Amino acid sequence: MKVLIVLGILPIVLAVLSLLIRNAPRLRLFVAVMHWVQLALSIWLLLPLLDGTVPAVVYSPGLMLDRLGAMFVILTVFVIASASTHAVCYFAEEDIHRHSEIPSSPMRNGVFYACLNIFMLAMMGVYFCDNLAYLWMCIEATTLSSAALVFHDRTKNALEATWKYLIICSVGIALALFGTVLVFTSSQRGAFPEGSLNVSELILRANKLDFVLLRLGFFFCLIGYGTKAGIFPMHSWLPDAHSEAPAPASAVLSGALLNCALYGIWRVYQVILAASPHGFVNHVVPILGTVTVVAASIFLVRQYSFKRMLAYSSIENVGLMLVAIGLGSGPLFFLQAVNHSCAKVALFLLSGNITAACGTKRLNKLHGILKTTPLWGGLLALATFAVTGAPPFGAFVSETAILITSANRNHWPLAVLLISAIAVSFIALCLHIGRILVGQAKPDCHPFQPMRSSIVPGVLVVGVLALGVLLRLDTLVKLP
Amino acid sequence: MHAHRCAQVDEMTLDTYEVIALFAAVAAILMLGTTHLRLNLTFYCLHTLAIAAETAWISYLSGEPQHLIAAAGVLVKALGIPIFLGWIIRKLDVDSDVGTYLPAPLCMHLGIVMLGVSYLLSNQIPGVNGDDATFGATSAIGILFCGILLMLTRKVAISQIVGFLVIENGIYLFALTQTRGMPLIIEMGLLLEVLVAVMITGLLLFNIKKSFEHIDVTQLTELRDQ
Repeated sequence: MKVLIVLGILPIVLAVLSLLIRNAPRLRLFVAVMHWVQLALSIWLLLPLLDGTVPAVVYSPGLMLDRLGAMFVILTVFVIASASTHAVCYFAEEDIHRHSEIPSSPMRNGVFYACLNIFMLAMMGVYFCDNLAYLWMCIEATTLSSAALVFHDRTKNALEATWKYLIICSVGIALALFGTVLVFTSSQRGAFPEGSLNVSELILRANKLDFVLLRLGFFFCLIGYGTKAGIFPMHSWLPDAHSEAPAPASAVLSGALLNCALYGIWRVYQVILAASPHGFVNHVVPILGTVTVVAASIFLVRQYSFKRMLAYSSIENVGLMLVAIGLGSGPLFFLQAVNHSCAKVALFLLSGNITAACGTKRLNKLHGILKTTPLWGGLLALATFAVTGAPPFGAFVSETAILITSANRNHWPLAVLLISAIAVSFIALCLHIGRILVGQAKPDCHPFQPMRSSIVPGVLVVGVLALGVLLRLDTLVKLP
Repeated sequence: MHAHRCAQVDEMTLDTYEVIALFAAVAAILMLGTTHLRLNLTFYCLHTLAIAAETAWISYLSGEPQHLIAAAGVLVKALGIPIFLGWIIRKLDVDSDVGTYLPAPLCMHLGIVMLGVSYLLSNQIPGVNGDDATFGATSAIGILFCGILLMLTRKVAISQIVGFLVIENGIYLFALTQTRGMPLIIEMGLLLEVLVAVMITGLLLFNIKKSFEHIDVTQLTELRDQ
């Protein structure tokens, strides 16, 4: 319990301070430093879980953390710390050269940082939840708190994106609530007369649950949390919200929030796996994941906006993670998540630099970044390779492991479809990014602080490269 | 023959809580039939009051007085949300929502049909069709459909919020009648989330009105893949 309080107190204090400190540049720097403190604290407190000496810790009934959850907590805090560090120089630039007519104010800045911290608390909470209802509450809290991040620019487009985000995700999450109620009912009709929503208890007595209700509940949770994760037919809000949010917020939405929603699916899926290891449901999840990857790769071919394109690439990676979940492999899920998060955060932060410098998000108006700022251009190329899964990078290892595992489980058609879709999206992304990199440099492009604004993306790209070099494929494929 | 008729009569007798649940469903269907926003909110208030009464009644039946707190929470929702949304309606100066694809009367009849469908559906849920819970599940799923219809067929942003609230009420009623109430802390957390969600979307409405000079969500189509 002490661990929970220590981890939860800093975001709350920071949220309150964000509203009180009126000096925007100082607040940004302070929050960024404190987020790294939070990361250090989390690693220190969760170390027994991370190094595997303790398999899982139960803090109180309904609150539990296992090793996978602990790693996701670290990843979440790392993503937020990276984004808020980059935000220091991104927002400083935005204060000077705003392209929007709405002036920035200390209040707006304060609201952004307060919501960012509550958002972080809610996302960390997701991984601590053993109780499915608490999980639902945390995921709904992430939606509500991140709405302010999407709305930060106060433009018409940001407003439209925020509205769609709130309404579509709230309805989706309401369906997940219905699914949670159905799981509760299935436990009451089965093994638990009092009813239980604790995943650890449900798994232990999974074969005594009412399976029809459990399956129905799982489908509702899959649709509900799937909406939040941007799974194919329910993805329509995602490109809007990710492209209209300011770059650090897009990075957090893409690098941390999608993992949370997928983790919700993973928790419910664990109960289903325990109840029927070889049922029909076990084919639905990988198929849905594959459909998402294929659809996203088709969408990627025709893109006009830089950040929307990156959002579709996130949808593609969500599909891949869903396939890993469908294969029942937590480590593969985490591996794909960590590679995607690091690379995509780097990409979104760079896209923020470039769009702020050139004043447009249109792909057909962005050219010659390699000439204007070679550092941004080089990092952009590397990050693109990293996110599409080109060989020396970590995503190559995780994607190959997912493909090999799905082929080993006799999901051959899925593996073939996945390979073709990944190839299509690789070509599409490289073509679009290539057009940005080469060509005639625009005269009205004013790059700002190329060195300082490249630190965080640079570190992230190096990190993904290190993952790719260090991870051994042969051990991964043998994972359960 | 006589015994058979008795059984039939017995089946048609409704308990009090089933009557309340069906009343909530009827109020939700009436919401589909009104285009006047203020009347719509009044029906929403009645509908949620019925659900609060249902909570109180079931907590009395099951002898768990702590669920009276949940009933009080629903009461807050029944009174607070219509007052808040009514204030927004007055501020924004909108009073009716003509709807989009389906005219309101047709939509109401569709709602009635969906109530019939949900009766069939609730008989499919295992464990429900045994003794007494069918009408509770029927109204709950019927309300869920009404909320979805409301969100799909209305134009004005306020109706979207109300539709979401109706969906949430349907889920709540389902949990109430099928499980005799979820643990109290969960119900309270849920209530808090809903109130915060209404606050945030409500405040967002002012911004939409200010930027676009209307609150017609069907005209929010600026963001597309092009």
